Amino acid sequence: MTDAIVCEELTREFPSGRAVDRLTFAVPQGAVLALLGPNGAGKTTSIRLMNGILAPDSGTCRVMGLDPQVNGTELRARTGVVTENAGLDDRLTARENLEITGRLRGLGAKRTAEIVDDLLERFDMTSHADHRCQGFSTGQRRRVSLARALIHDPEMLFLDEPTSGLDPAGARAVMELINRSARERGRTIVLCTHFLSEAGSTADWMAVMHQGRLVSFGRPAELATARWPGLEVHFDLGGPPDELTRSEISALPSVLSTEVDAVGLVVTVTDRAQIPGVVAALVGLGATVYGTQARPRGLEDVYFDVQSRYDSSAITSLVDSPALTS
Amino acid sequence: MSTAEQAASLPVAHSPNPRIDWTIVRSVLAKDITATKRSKAVVAPMIVVPLALLVGLPIAVGLFARSAVTPDLAGLFDHLPSSMGEELRAMEPRQQLVGLVLGYLIAPLFLIVPMMVSSALAADTFAGEKERRTLESLLFLPVEERDLYVAKVLFAFLPTVAISWICFALFCVAANVVAWPLMQGIFVPTWRWFGLIVFMAPAVSALGLGVMVRVSARANTTQEANQLGGAVIMPLILLAVGQTSGLLVLPAVWIFVASAGVWLVAFGLIRGGLKRFTRDQVASRM
Repeated sequence: MTDAIVCEELTREFPSGRAVDRLTFAVPQGAVLALLGPNGAGKTTSIRLMNGILAPDSGTCRVMGLDPQVNGTELRARTGVVTENAGLDDRLTARENLEITGRLRGLGAKRTAEIVDDLLERFDMTSHADHRCQGFSTGQRRRVSLARALIHDPEMLFLDEPTSGLDPAGARAVMELINRSARERGRTIVLCTHFLSEAGSTADWMAVMHQGRLVSFGRPAELATARWPGLEVHFDLGGPPDELTRSEISALPSVLSTEVDAVGLVVTVTDRAQIPGVVAALVGLGATVYGTQARPRGLEDVYFDVQSRYDSSAITSLVDSPALTS
Repeated sequence: MSTAEQAASLPVAHSPNPRIDWTIVRSVLAKDITATKRSKAVVAPMIVVPLALLVGLPIAVGLFARSAVTPDLAGLFDHLPSSMGEELRAMEPRQQLVGLVLGYLIAPLFLIVPMMVSSALAADTFAGEKERRTLESLLFLPVEERDLYVAKVLFAFLPTVAISWICFALFCVAANVVAWPLMQGIFVPTWRWFGLIVFMAPAVSALGLGVMVRVSARANTTQEANQLGGAVIMPLILLAVGQTSGLLVLPAVWIFVASAGVWLVAFGLIRGGLKRFTRDQVASRM
């Protein structure tokens, strides 16, 4: 599979410090990458570097085969970006904001008008199309901003905090729009967000940055498996099991660990196929199994695990990803 | 295949268009003008101040001169440049005040006011976009830096020239109408006024915005741009511009020569700003 983004040792410093420090990764075509990290981690700077808005001090970057520094205009014609601040001109209407973007992206006036009408309808903004953006809610701004990023049907989308400032319902609506936009055309998407649950439901790759450095990169499930072997399954037994039951279950070859909680037993098995065997063993030991729930570890768990390692100490090495070390 | 090999094997794209894309320039210009027109706080002073100074003031002077007792200006003419003094002495005593004020003394305003307008608009070009948080989304568009810069320069230049020319036309009408009972004929514009308005005024506007667009690209807010440009650089230019209105006492050809000189400096400033302007320069301050 062709890589849509290839960054090698990408570095950028500002007077305040190094914002991006030797960023190296490759994102496959059509992937949705969650670019995560606390404020000041270097996410926005990375997006600017990948679009040729900022020039790197060292290192290289190729996005869809183009060098952002050499072919920036051509590259930006093929990418769409939603910035952290919606970036709409409050003095213009939603329609005007979109139409100007269409013209600046080289779409003819007639074609722009058609696309704008379509996008306004798709993003449920038709009734507000001719209102100035000044009075818009954050959610309405986000929708117009997202529509603007899609006006030229880009091959790649960069979404920088697309749900910041939104209430849960607004955030969900925007994420559904993003998901739809991503899947309908197989676009490559780079999604920066602090909302890990939405990132987890959308992203098939994740990158965690800390103080400008990439500290974890890969597929969430693979990163989780490397950290926490096996699958955690909760067995509802109607109450904590006795010590004998727990020790018998712990002794099963497919069980990696067990933990008692208020309503049952949390068992880590080697894989999903082992769950029926554990249920059978529990029943055999006289326990009543009211239910089971697999709790696969994912992006959110990986993120917090990575952050906990870097929160209180200096970064020493990059170790997480096979892609980083190959 | 390593990522480096993959990167090397990817196709190389074309170099940027070497010519200005006027469609892009027009679109950016249209956006800025449309948005600015809707901002009363910006439009009102842009209209009211030039009208008050360039139209209202001459009307007041003309009305005063018509009703006032004829002042004795002979002593004053002795201190004026000889050609100017001779021209005014040749007028009837009742015409001399109007001739002096509306024919000569008001001239600096026709250079200073356009320069102030262009500077105010120029200060807003990039710093205003930063302040409104719209610049980043503009930088993410497939627009060449050169086209963006040219659009911003024209955004400050074209309305200024339009305002100064409209105000001059209104000034001519108002001055001639108000002073008609005294002058008994059309006394403005003269060729020298024409040269001053058509050539020199746009040149000094370009000079002012040549400085202010550069300042705006570096400032984070319009206020910062105005403070830096308005407090440090512009007074020096305004001082020099004020002196150029003295060209009215010289033969008309000197106005054209001086205008050409100011245009050259203005072009140099704009070109220099254009060469130095990069996305990185602006984005690294966002």
